[in-house]
Amino acid sequence: MPCEHYKDALIEVAASGATPSGELYAHLDACTSCRDAFVEEQTLFAAIDSGLHTAANTEVPVSLLPRVRARLDEAITTQRHWIQPLGFASAGVALAFLLLLIVRPHGNVPNNVPKQTPAAPTPMAPAAGTHIEISPSSIQVASTTPNLLHTPRTSTVKHSAASSHPEILVPPDEREGLAQLVAMLNQHKDFAAAFLAPRPEKKDALVTVDPLLISDLEIKPLEGTETETSDGTGERH
Amino acid sequence: MQELVLNQPVSTARSELVREAAQADARREFEERLAECGPLAFRVARGVLRNTADAEDVAQEALLRAYKSFHRLRDRSRFRGWLVRISFRVALDRLRSAKRREQRDTLWAKPEHLPPVASAEEIAASKQFQGHLDRALEELPEKLRLVLLLSAMDGYTIEEISSMMGVPLGTVKSRIFIARKKLAEKLRCHANTIKMR
Ligand SMILES: [Zn+2]
Repeated sequence: MPCEHYKDALIEVAASGATPSGELYAHLDACTSCRDAFVEEQTLFAAIDSGLHTAANTEVPVSLLPRVRARLDEAITTQRHWIQPLGFASAGVALAFLLLLIVRPHGNVPNNVPKQTPAAPTPMAPAAGTHIEISPSSIQVASTTPNLLHTPRTSTVKHSAASSHPEILVPPDEREGLAQLVAMLNQHKDFAAAFLAPRPEKKDALVTVDPLLISDLEIKPLEGTETETSDGTGERH
Repeated sequence: MQELVLNQPVSTARSELVREAAQADARREFEERLAECGPLAFRVARGVLRNTADAEDVAQEALLRAYKSFHRLRDRSRFRGWLVRISFRVALDRLRSAKRREQRDTLWAKPEHLPPVASAEEIAASKQFQGHLDRALEELPEKLRLVLLLSAMDGYTIEEISSMMGVPLGTVKSRIFIARKKLAEKLRCHANTIKMR
């Protein structure tokens, strides 16, 4: 057993890995039990460090990185499998919604509504008597304006060969949702105009964005009023 | 005649492309860090679990979690420290759930059965001592434990650990010192029963 007085000091020194000095050095030189205790402490800390080093530096399995890469690939693929159908489904529903809005009757749409739709230079004339039929095999959209629907490449809209009505083709899994949507729209008929975006005809054109039309601005200084300068400070005329 | 404007499918496709490009970038960036940080994640996990197979599983899990949250890490220079924490946390969770599953027999209780060994290396190499050390490590406060583990790993200086953990150098040093002393307190009685030459 080490002397009680030097016990903590010799543990501190052993823990720090330093060499004993001063009073402790003198005592260790004279006291065998403290010297033995000090050697035991040094051995203990060395054993701890050695054990930690062994535990902390285990060889990394060669399979680790390939397995991580495989799991990352798997995670990415899974994510895509979720996102793609979601994207297509929402696109399909949005498309069907647009089509339904286009063919719905406009007789009861207030006059100010078309003004709120973006880029509508020639607002579509509402057709009275438009009605929507949903058949089990396809969504039939019957309209009194048969040439209303142009078919872009990305669209699922087709003119039915057998009927004068245009026909909407939807995937089977979206048919039920579309049917519910039609039923809902038939109940709330004034949803339509806000979503309409008719535009001048462009044959065979894919989706394009028309340049924003802004009429020329005429800038006139107002007499005797303050106008704002570019730095935000007022300037009197 | 009117043309129906169908923006939705195209914008969906475009956003899909943008998303995929961003994903490819993130993957490339993550891949650059994987070779260095994969082993680090493993060693942290191994230091906690003391089992190579479990540590490999945990390292994979930690790396996968890190990848999934990679976009949230704004300062990419903090990646190592961030990954170390994730690995440490996942390993601790694994250890706790494993403990709940099985009541392990503790080597802790029977120091008198230890065979006599001589040097520090031999003590450290003995299964009994390693068992005690593992136990003592488990009982260390987490902050001390992680820093001690990192300091025992080859290739990381105290300065690197300090920047990895985002704590001052002096704090790292004192944590290591305190941790080793706490381990010594727990192991002293066991080491003393191992007859030293
Ligand atoms: Zn003494």
